[in-house]
Amino acid sequence: MNVGESVRTGFVEIWSHKTRSFLSFSSIAFGVAAILYTFANVNGMYIRRTKAFDIAGPGRLEIEKRESGGFSALVGLSKGLTTGDAEAMRAAMPWLYMLSPTLRASADLRDGDFRDRVQLEGVTLDWAKRGWVFTKRGRFFNSHDLANAARVCIVLEQGGWAGKKPFWARFWRDDNFAGHARRADMLGRTIQLDDGLYTVIGVLKNPPRDKDPRWFFRSGGLLILPLTTVQRYLARRGATDSLDGVDNIIVDTGSVETIPRARRRIEALLSGRHRGVADYEIKDFREMVQNMLENMRKYAVAVLAVGVVAVLAGGVGIMNVTLATIFSRIREIGVRRALGGTRADILVQFLTEAALLGVLGGIAGIGLGLSGIRYLSDDGAETVAALLWWHFPATLAISAGTALLFALYPAYQASRLDPVEALRYE
Amino acid sequence: MVEIDAVVKVYGDAGGYRALDGVSFTVPEGQFAAIMGPSGCGKSTLLNVLGLMDQPTSGSYKLDATAVQGLSDAERTHLRRDKLGFVFQSFNLLPRMTALQNVCLPMGYAGLSRKDRLERAHGLLARVGLKGKELRTPLELSGGERQRVGIARSLANRPRLLLADEPTGNLDSKTSVEIMALFRELHAEGMTLLLVTHDPGIAAQADRILRVKDGRIVADERPAAQPA
Repeated sequence: MNVGESVRTGFVEIWSHKTRSFLSFSSIAFGVAAILYTFANVNGMYIRRTKAFDIAGPGRLEIEKRESGGFSALVGLSKGLTTGDAEAMRAAMPWLYMLSPTLRASADLRDGDFRDRVQLEGVTLDWAKRGWVFTKRGRFFNSHDLANAARVCIVLEQGGWAGKKPFWARFWRDDNFAGHARRADMLGRTIQLDDGLYTVIGVLKNPPRDKDPRWFFRSGGLLILPLTTVQRYLARRGATDSLDGVDNIIVDTGSVETIPRARRRIEALLSGRHRGVADYEIKDFREMVQNMLENMRKYAVAVLAVGVVAVLAGGVGIMNVTLATIFSRIREIGVRRALGGTRADILVQFLTEAALLGVLGGIAGIGLGLSGIRYLSDDGAETVAALLWWHFPATLAISAGTALLFALYPAYQASRLDPVEALRYE
Repeated sequence: MVEIDAVVKVYGDAGGYRALDGVSFTVPEGQFAAIMGPSGCGKSTLLNVLGLMDQPTSGSYKLDATAVQGLSDAERTHLRRDKLGFVFQSFNLLPRMTALQNVCLPMGYAGLSRKDRLERAHGLLARVGLKGKELRTPLELSGGERQRVGIARSLANRPRLLLADEPTGNLDSKTSVEIMALFRELHAEGMTLLLVTHDPGIAAQADRILRVKDGRIVADERPAAQPA
């Protein structure tokens, strides 16, 4: 008997036991959906990583402040990470593309009737080199503002959505200040931060969120001020913090090749300036992204495991159905053997039916997975759920293969039935 | 066509139940032989051995001059497919298939092309008087019609020997007469027939009656009505 004939018979059998067939392939379908979802996520991760590297610049390093043990700080051995460190680095390595120190703070904001506690960041002019993808109104601050700790600030406005607002975003409330910044045009206004008055000299609007790959590692600051201004008026300092302290310094060496060289120079320089106190940490940006991706990979592995378990459960379901099918068709097997069907013919027939169930389950699973990916993924953006063409045949092969594997034993049993006994079976 | 000699079939181990206890006979080509006997006498076992569904414990069996001892399961299946046709008491049609598909089934195992299968199946169904009912399923056919499909199916691979196990056992007397007429037609065309029955009226239509009792042939008669 040829395979085409088996396929035809298989369809007749599957169709005449719709409920049974549906039950057995539905768990395969769920498994396939989970596997497909994982494929999409893993591939999306790689696309995002590539984009993150593109935007971050190839030669990115981050020097972050770390709390040192109290003693060395108390005796004034090291002042912690400071603007002085940044200036020394700049002086030692004028070729660095970007050297951008940051100091984070928070403040009570008043703008007319609006009050809120806001996160703010003090930065230098090099901040503009951190992948500027804003729409600017007004102006950015200049070296004069920085030198004089001018009381000026820049509002970062959220980007909104370019396309349709995704389903989940309806349940997502902007924080108060982000909403206020969008509703009220703050450019040119004078606002109060803690007990000082500041002029909003510029508004930077983020690109639409669904077009912005940086959502992946975006930080929270909503107000940008000159670093010196934050240091002088807004930073909350402990007794041991220096007046020109910063939280971190982000360096872009310009290319991947120059990272090790810059890293060595920075380590030597800071080690000297900090007198050996390890109150800072140098992080390779790629390592950070790698770590983030590592976490996501663990998540993907978990989903994949669920998928594999579901497919295996589906396989057991198919095994069960095949066994049940064989029991209800023992007489038919006898008839087929009497009419000249060999053991191999019987084996092929039941395997074909199982494989068909597997393929149908796989197709249903792909449908389920595709609709699931649209809604389950973190973001509606196309980069999140990226599928390659081979993911589809691969998932189909997984489901059909599982079905075949699990049908092997029952089909073998069927082929070994004694034809005389089978014919006599009622 | 059929030569069996001293065939013994024992179920279980050596001291078990002797279903066939030294059966020997020969059926020449073109003969219509009936096997008669009370239930439990071993006629079903005999038919299974003759149909290559079961292997004798000892004794020899030659089908169409081929010795079947020592053949593998696949070889016996191929022989069965190519030389034998089965007609069953309970028809044994596959319920979810149409008459046409049922007749096509053995030809599928024999590897005929789809076109040849359909052509031959249509011819066979017309031959047994079921023209126009090819696409009905067994449930939509009467008992007599089902047995006609069964006979058409048994002829699908142009067998040399037809084995019929109580082919009229589930039919009323009028339909039985029609089915027997069909068997006699086949016989007249030269088909070798072996028919198991316990109905003397049916057996009387054969060339020869083999009476089986307790696993042995107890009589080999030639009915006066139809001398050989």
